[in-house]
Amino acid sequence: MSLSEYCTPYAAFFGFAGVAASMIFSSIGAAYGTAKAGIGIAGVGQFDPTLIMKSLIPVVMSGIIAVYGLVMAVLISGDMSPAENYSLYNGFIHLAAGSCVGLTGLAAGYTIGVIGDAGVRAFLEQQRIFVSMVLILIFAEVLGLYGLIVGLILNTKTTAEC
Amino acid sequence: MVLVQLTAALLAFSGIAGLYMVLSGDGHYFDVGRFLTQTSPYSWGFIGIGLCTGLSVIGAAWGIYITGTSILGAGVRASRITTKNLISIIFCEVVGIYGLIMSIVFTSKLSAVSGPELYSKSNFFTGYSLFWGGLTVGLCNLACGVAVGVSGSSAALADALDPSLFVKILIIEIFGSILGLFGLIIGLLVTSKAADFS
Repeated sequence: MSLSEYCTPYAAFFGFAGVAASMIFSSIGAAYGTAKAGIGIAGVGQFDPTLIMKSLIPVVMSGIIAVYGLVMAVLISGDMSPAENYSLYNGFIHLAAGSCVGLTGLAAGYTIGVIGDAGVRAFLEQQRIFVSMVLILIFAEVLGLYGLIVGLILNTKTTAEC
Repeated sequence: MVLVQLTAALLAFSGIAGLYMVLSGDGHYFDVGRFLTQTSPYSWGFIGIGLCTGLSVIGAAWGIYITGTSILGAGVRASRITTKNLISIIFCEVVGIYGLIMSIVFTSKLSAVSGPELYSKSNFFTGYSLFWGGLTVGLCNLACGVAVGVSGSSAALADALDPSLFVKILIIEIFGSILGLFGLIIGLLVTSKAADFS
């Protein structure tokens, strides 16, 4: 199937929209996770400062969500340049991949924030709950990873023909 | 809630516009490709540059007022915290500086082109990259500013209780501020390959 009539000049709009979706939504998720878990950690620290270091895990995991978005955005923008052929097909693939990573990152970051906040407050009262908190946080983190996997698979399907 | 209402309003407006075009015999004008290739690349570029600074500064301002109110409130009884917690305010301010720097970098791609040579594939690429790059930097800095602001607020309140807690809660702020840096990196990457308008 010939793609010649679909190498339109406006295909780059959708590609860049994918880059933006990937970075923006995962940033929003990571920001919510950092802030919400941070509130809980600051509260916990006031009662028992020795627990703060272990309680930083939700914040680190939110940072990882942002890194997923960064990775996909870098991958997509690496495929785009004004000189080479860029079809609408590529544009929509990049939009899909970016939206995948971004929206799953938004969901994962939100979850990590809520779980982190509740988890560290429970950790303050009962130290053995740490393992459960980490397990639930891992399940939340893996949601973002699913998006990254699907985004990466989509990204490999781009074609250079026009 | 507001976001849902905004999206619904946008969808309703475009639906009504589309229906009007179809029913009056001009349905072929509802064409995303025609819209994207007939709007000037300058419009995309300039809107991106404006949003870059504007949204970043909104994030910085939001963070500063969240942190500042907590510092001022806790500082009434624990006045020793007021100087050290200015670090949190500076973290938020830096987010606005990121937007400023990126806007200045983006304006280096602008040059005057008149006539139909403006609508070339390379110029479209540059216009779209400035728009989406600027929007990315702006919205990432917005999220970053709010996150740093909330973390700074909780750091100030913890510091008021126990001075040794400040440095530990500062770690959370540092994790928050990397989001702005990521936005900056992507903004630079996206516009690096775009040629100047020619």
